[in-house]
Amino acid sequence: MSDVNELHPDAAKLEGMRHTEQYDFKLAEDYFFKSERGLSRRVIEQISYYKGEPQWMLDFRLRAFEIAEKKGRPKWGPNLDDLNFDEIFFYVRPTEQQQTAGSWDDIPEEVRRTYERLGVPQAEQRALAGVGAQYESEMVYHKLKEEWEKLGVIFLDTDTGLKEHPEIFREHFATVVPPEDNYFAAVNSAVWSGGSFVYVPEGVHVDVPLQAYFLLNAQNIGQFERTLIIGAPGSKFHYIEGCTAPAYTTNSFHSGVIEIVCQEGSDVRYSTIQNWSHNVYNLVTQRAIVEKDASMGWLDGNLGSKVTMKYPSTYLVGERAHGEILSIAFATDGQHQDAGAKVIHAAPHTTSSVVSKSISKTGGRSSYRGLVQIHEGATGARSNVECDALLLDETARTDTFPYIEINEKTAHVGHEATVSKLDDEQIFYLMTRGLGEEEAMALIVRGFLDPVAKELPLEYAVELNRLIELEMEGSVG
Amino acid sequence: MSATLTDNPNVTAAAVAAISERYAEPAWLRSEREAAFRAYQNTPFPTERTEEWRYTQLKRFDFSGLELAKEPNDESISERISMRIDDSDAEGVMVHKGNKVVHRQASIKEAGVVFTDLRTALTEHEELVREHLYKVVNATQTKYTALNSALWENGTFVYVPANVEVELPLGAFTTADSGGVGLGRTLIVVDVNARLTFLDEFTSDPFDEHLFFDAATEIVLKDGAKLRYVSLQNWSRNVAHINKLRAHLGRDSRLESVTVSLGGDAARVEVESQLEGPGSESEMLGLYFADEGQHFNQFTLQHHSTERGFSDVLFKGAVRDASSSTYSGMIVVDPGAQKTDAYQTNRNLLLDEESEVVSIPQLEIAANDVKCSHGSTTGPVPEDQRFYLMSRGLTPEVAEHLLVTGFLYEVMSRVTLPKVAEYVERVVQAKLGVPGVKEKL
Repeated sequence: MSDVNELHPDAAKLEGMRHTEQYDFKLAEDYFFKSERGLSRRVIEQISYYKGEPQWMLDFRLRAFEIAEKKGRPKWGPNLDDLNFDEIFFYVRPTEQQQTAGSWDDIPEEVRRTYERLGVPQAEQRALAGVGAQYESEMVYHKLKEEWEKLGVIFLDTDTGLKEHPEIFREHFATVVPPEDNYFAAVNSAVWSGGSFVYVPEGVHVDVPLQAYFLLNAQNIGQFERTLIIGAPGSKFHYIEGCTAPAYTTNSFHSGVIEIVCQEGSDVRYSTIQNWSHNVYNLVTQRAIVEKDASMGWLDGNLGSKVTMKYPSTYLVGERAHGEILSIAFATDGQHQDAGAKVIHAAPHTTSSVVSKSISKTGGRSSYRGLVQIHEGATGARSNVECDALLLDETARTDTFPYIEINEKTAHVGHEATVSKLDDEQIFYLMTRGLGEEEAMALIVRGFLDPVAKELPLEYAVELNRLIELEMEGSVG
Repeated sequence: MSATLTDNPNVTAAAVAAISERYAEPAWLRSEREAAFRAYQNTPFPTERTEEWRYTQLKRFDFSGLELAKEPNDESISERISMRIDDSDAEGVMVHKGNKVVHRQASIKEAGVVFTDLRTALTEHEELVREHLYKVVNATQTKYTALNSALWENGTFVYVPANVEVELPLGAFTTADSGGVGLGRTLIVVDVNARLTFLDEFTSDPFDEHLFFDAATEIVLKDGAKLRYVSLQNWSRNVAHINKLRAHLGRDSRLESVTVSLGGDAARVEVESQLEGPGSESEMLGLYFADEGQHFNQFTLQHHSTERGFSDVLFKGAVRDASSSTYSGMIVVDPGAQKTDAYQTNRNLLLDEESEVVSIPQLEIAANDVKCSHGSTTGPVPEDQRFYLMSRGLTPEVAEHLLVTGFLYEVMSRVTLPKVAEYVERVVQAKLGVPGVKEKL
């Protein structure tokens, strides 16, 4: 462990740090504009007004609002009864300025310090091609290193993307996730604000990741970022997202929409490990359209939040397109992680793989909900799904709900799932080798997650391990 | 497939009362029927949006325009049925046709065993029937169990007293020669440490009208009881079949069930085991082969409500000729059901472009000291195996016949009634078009 930590920019800070010290911040609520509570036509018009948007976007928002009203909330999945829209502020604008800052010095000091505590500016220096930082409803910082800008890479907040690149924006916006798709996508479409707009031109390989970090501070806030990522033919890049919020006793609501277009031969990875505080409803729609010979990889880690509903989905629409989804969920203390994956094979020789690992303890519940669909004509398609669940105590619970629909004779589809508890013999063995019980348990849990963790960039793997250790603290006795 | 199901004008309180009247039923049964009819009325028809029915082609289970079950046109038993009786390994048999029992033969050596139709059981063993009827399958479950619970006319009743082992298998055959709404009910009670093997078979020669058949199978296994149960559905193609087959398992009891779906136009079977007694075991096998546009739905439920239970589901099937099959399985482990072992496997062969397979193996686990796993695979006949057989001189057709039969054999080989297993194999071969087989059915 120790030599791995040395490579991490925040190794010194991570070592021995309590979860609360790093993540538990509360900043003064001093905002330029905060909408009234609840979701209404008036709030939507205000959002659009403050953003100075073109008319078509306001029309889009209002149409999405109508769709949401008509659809109503999903009748399946986790209990969302405590999520009361009338208590939520759907739009909170921290500052008056229209432009996101290009320098950390231009950001209010308190906010900047929170990001520094999270290690975002430091990581930017060392290991990232570009960084975006969203605070409440708006992106406050967005910067791409010059070398990538010169190659034509676009990395902006979504609002600026709409203003500066209206053609690319309009060509792809809401084509991957239309507001009709599901209730929360419709709500997001009505009130979206912030998020990242990424365009990597033909043939460009960005060999260090782009990162965005989402912060919620106010009580009862809703955050609705909208991320649009386009990989032009032959491009290759990795986009990472992090998020956190202070722990309040009242509920907050995060409902992002992430749309990714992987054009011919591109290779796009999207990684996120959410560590929202336990009062956040995290209901996110993530989807990628993958064209001929392109490849899309999702890494989805769900550690925080009160309730998460998130099923990264991949539409393989071109020949030989490939999709990969790695999912980790850790549910403790009444959390419900309802995560999963969706893969649609709509072209010949498409391939996909899903690996899901979940851990539940102390009243936590983790569910895998998945869909694999093979359309007629997707000759030679192959898909494999593997779900493993680990239960750490008798109050933990886990579910698996995979749907498999096959209309193609030459397709091969497999699904496997296992549920098990911590193996007493393994713990006993490790303890005979001198480890404490808690350490032994943490080691076994890390081993269980290893097939997924090793796919992560190193900094993330270290942070994941550290978070697991923190979650495991107090597991014994 | 856009369709809403509508009610049948013949299903009325008067029709329910008429049955009680006709058979001079005891008051308790009248009130059970009335309650079942109210539940039927209060339960909406499933729609495409009902999760459990999402992949079911509802229209194929429509019974709105059909008359209620009536007397058979002809009370004799056809050559087909006599052949099946001779070829079923069963020692005691009973044949239901329409609402009549048209044949029975039994020479059960063991004392105290009751093997009769439900009507006779109600007069001769009323207390036994009253104690168990509706306890396992009743009107609270689905629209179709409510329909059956309100309107069933006859069925099969088996009771094996404590510590009695019935050596030779018993069997009930259900057949029909006219259309309408048919209702069948089987109640099997195996008392403490008793043993039984039972075959429930549904079969018919083709007839002109459409038959909608709604079956309910109730199985009660007391502590230490053992039951081998085979449900074999090979209706003619003018029949739609729904069957809820549910068992309650007492302490250290064991159920080995096999559910085979081969015939009919559309069939939906729901196979459920409630493991109520510690140390109980349920092995649930299934085999299906849909061809010529058939539509099969299979559901399994392994509900572990107590500790040390074992359950294992294996459902294997093949589809061809623009047919469709769905398998949906659920393992539920309640809080406190520690030391549970529960497994679930579904394997499918998809044999042509126009057919469709859906597989939904599910788990809901609320105890931690458990071993649970499930697996599902779907694919074509493996190319390398076909290639191998062809390299040994077999034609592509024969190679495919062998590989499909071999695939399904894993389930057939575990059917403990050898003649029944052979029969299933012949039906599978006939569906595959193996020459010379159809004539022997």
